[in-house]
Amino acid sequence: MSEGKKSLKLNLTDILVTIVIALVFGLVFRLMGPVYDLLQPLGLHLDALLYGIWFIAAPFAALLIRKPGVAFIAETAAALAEMLFAGSGGVVNLYYGLVQGLLSEAIFAAWRYKKFSLGIASLSAFAALVGSVIIDAYYSYLPMLAGWNLTLYLVFRVLGAILLSGLLPFVLVKGLEKTGVTQSIRPVSKEDYDVLK
Amino acid sequence: MDNVWTSTNKLFFKINPSLKFVIISSLFIVYLFVHNLNTMIWASLLFLILYYLVSGLTGKWSFWFVFLTLIVSLFSASAMIMFGKGDHIIYQKYLILITQESLARGILLGLRTFTFSLVGMIFATTTLPVPFFYSLMQQLKVPVRYAYGCMAAFRMIPIMAEELMHIRQAMIVRGMARQKGAKALYERMNRYMLTMLAQSIRRAQRTAIAMEAKRFSMTEERTYYYEIGWSRYDLFFVVIILLTVTLGFVCSAYFPLTPFTNVLDH
Repeated sequence: MSEGKKSLKLNLTDILVTIVIALVFGLVFRLMGPVYDLLQPLGLHLDALLYGIWFIAAPFAALLIRKPGVAFIAETAAALAEMLFAGSGGVVNLYYGLVQGLLSEAIFAAWRYKKFSLGIASLSAFAALVGSVIIDAYYSYLPMLAGWNLTLYLVFRVLGAILLSGLLPFVLVKGLEKTGVTQSIRPVSKEDYDVLK
Repeated sequence: MDNVWTSTNKLFFKINPSLKFVIISSLFIVYLFVHNLNTMIWASLLFLILYYLVSGLTGKWSFWFVFLTLIVSLFSASAMIMFGKGDHIIYQKYLILITQESLARGILLGLRTFTFSLVGMIFATTTLPVPFFYSLMQQLKVPVRYAYGCMAAFRMIPIMAEELMHIRQAMIVRGMARQKGAKALYERMNRYMLTMLAQSIRRAQRTAIAMEAKRFSMTEERTYYYEIGWSRYDLFFVVIILLTVTLGFVCSAYFPLTPFTNVLDH
């Protein structure tokens, strides 16, 4: 911490903040699990709307800390936490978390960790969604659903992902910026230097 | 919460947590490629028996957990049952179309979710966080900073719970819990989420600084307060799981309960 310029490498503060956030979302996942399960028997895939919340940890952590790796760590740790809290689905969550985290991270990496807009957050949520659908295609036999039902499912899931894991983390991080906590954990950006001029 | 846990002296508590973690996680791969309904029925039955024998929860809690998990697992299959593809129609009304194939597929999905939940429960109820993270560092070579980070984070759960109570009470005392409407709901959510998150971030940051001030080392070789090793129980565990899995496959081959050996076939 003594070096004057913060690098993009993760230090202990970043790791702890990421893991604590992951734990908070792990708890949220655990609590949302039963709600999600109860929506399922309606058969109209209202549950798919809620599915988006499970992608939130990665974009949120990335938007907050703005360093490489945090998105992946956050999503995986949140999944692990959900498993340790005995969430419904058990071990499955871990694999979903890994894949979602990787794909979410890939979006931020593609913009070389320089762009953290609403669009990128949504895109990262969308990438996580693609990951979840790939696993579901094998795991839940998605292609075996009737055509209209599958379409409804995918549309709801995309909507949910964009709203709950694109827009929501963006709004939350904007709110956190107002509280001032973000200043101390983000790497120094160009704007920060400009202020000094 | 005192009577939730049975004694932590049971066999599954003594297994090396990393081994337990790896074996239990790899079960996902095994059952991902099972498309035989009979195998899944037998597997879920056998894992149910195993769960009752080894789980760390006491009888009453255990029963309700299994019961709810079963219901919820069947819920998760409802879409496949009601709207899946298939030819042999059992029931049709409006959009709902239940066929033999989709019913079999749905039941398989439900049982698979059920089995994974049970396996997850076996892991979650017999693994204590601290030995688990120590074992991750020692056996799976997870970097010390992540494992310690997780342990520190776990310590913060009770503080977070207390904080949540405080926010709730503060809102009630100021009459904010009585406000109605979408906007009030949105603001209430915001107040909970932002306060909790901001506080958690600050706390994590303080903890990290404190750890570094106490010379917590991220890179050097280190010693451990708890040494997690191996024992003969680990061997028992591997044998038990292997037996359960093989028995599932053997039973489904010799005592098929349904004619659906591949639910992906039409």
